[in-house]
Amino acid sequence: MRPNDRSYLDSHEWAKIDGNIVTVGISDFAVEQLGELVYLDLPETGATFIAGEAFGEVESVKAVSDLNCPVVGEVIEVNSDLCDNLEDLQNNPFEGGWLMKVKIEGDNLEGMLDLAAYEELVSSQS
Amino acid sequence: MSTTTSQLLSTSLHQQHVDLGGKMVPFAGWSMPVDYGSILNEAKAVREGSGVFDVSHMARFVFRGDDVATKLDYALGGCITDQPIGMARYTMLLQDDAGILDDLLTYRLADDEFMLVVNASNRDRDWDLLTERLDGIECSDLTEDGGGILALQGPESLNVLRKLSSDDNFAPAFLGLGEIETDFGTLFFARTGYTGEHGYELFPSAEQIVPLWMALMNLDVTPVGLGSRDILRLEAALPLYGHEIHESITPFDASLRFGVRGWKTRDFIGGDALRALPEPDKHLIGFTCEKRIPREGYNVLCDGEIVGTICSGAMSVVLGKPIATAYVPKNVDGEFSIDFRGKPHAATCVDLPFVPHRSRD
Repeated sequence: MRPNDRSYLDSHEWAKIDGNIVTVGISDFAVEQLGELVYLDLPETGATFIAGEAFGEVESVKAVSDLNCPVVGEVIEVNSDLCDNLEDLQNNPFEGGWLMKVKIEGDNLEGMLDLAAYEELVSSQS
Repeated sequence: MSTTTSQLLSTSLHQQHVDLGGKMVPFAGWSMPVDYGSILNEAKAVREGSGVFDVSHMARFVFRGDDVATKLDYALGGCITDQPIGMARYTMLLQDDAGILDDLLTYRLADDEFMLVVNASNRDRDWDLLTERLDGIECSDLTEDGGGILALQGPESLNVLRKLSSDDNFAPAFLGLGEIETDFGTLFFARTGYTGEHGYELFPSAEQIVPLWMALMNLDVTPVGLGSRDILRLEAALPLYGHEIHESITPFDASLRFGVRGWKTRDFIGGDALRALPEPDKHLIGFTCEKRIPREGYNVLCDGEIVGTICSGAMSVVLGKPIATAYVPKNVDGEFSIDFRGKPHAATCVDLPFVPHRSRD
């Protein structure tokens, strides 16, 4: 079951908002499409991104993919242990496999999909 | 054979792939399984036991005629006139300037009959060129006849084949063709493959292909997708058209002299150009690196200077690390690195193949 407490990008990242902090990750569908993961590159704390900008890369046996930042803000925490424990991302992308936390101004998740819209997107790509 | 709504061709085993959880992807105009869940585990199965690939997308051409060997000898890079009946050979289709249009296997079925198996991506162009170069020869494209090619590969493949057969004692030679009697009739095969392992390519008819596949599954042969096939062929440093070989690469650049046997004296398309070529100034080398997989087109640097681009990259299951190939100038020496999308990472130059061949064992 995909969680209903967050928003999704059509490039398969998710964003969960809590006050002015947004936790960012990638969806189970992204993980499944990538297949066996070999490498994850995440930004440093303090880096700033605009919405749609690549903040890192995830690589599988099959392909390498940019990670797109869903919001404008500054990285305040990175799940850096994940880079050496890719199985956590593979097995639990919505919880233990979170990638970073971003501090945002306001609560604008403009252009993101709610769960229903994201499920529709995924079924059209499956 | 059928055409899906997206105009992709499907092999006769499409339903079997889907039933096994195969992830179907478009490949050279066909819907093919890239994996059945784990590319890495499938590759390991071939190295350690046995695996089977549906490679029915590869094109099968048959040529018949009194002087077919002489004409093929002229049309292809390799020597065909002395190819024994019942044997397969590797060669290439060259253009006039000796650039490689495709690589292929020729199977001599009879004195006056050959089967050629060519890359799916080059099927139309190869067909046009070959039928033009083989004027007066009877040409048939069997690719969509409902039969196909199953590559049974791995150290256990001979035992598997013996279990399919009423003759449990046969042992065909490397590159040899043969037939076995099975529950579903006489099955034609060749001891060929694209993994560097002991292995066979089976050529079932339209009636045989599904029962053959089911029999292999019942013998616990691992179904293997195209993702693993790429790992296995790269570990064995077997070239892939569009990567290590293409129109701007000659057989000499690619160290494929054995595919143009007799090139010094034979009359064939590309022969004059080959004879006029200077020694190649570049060569194909292998790299290993850590964690990240070099992808086609990434720049290769030596002491910080760009010296080449990656032809192929994959995660080696035998070495447990990424491997890649690239052409670099022969005189280059120093510290190699690969530019991973703007981030250089150190790479180590290693001898090819990455994994020793066991295909003759």
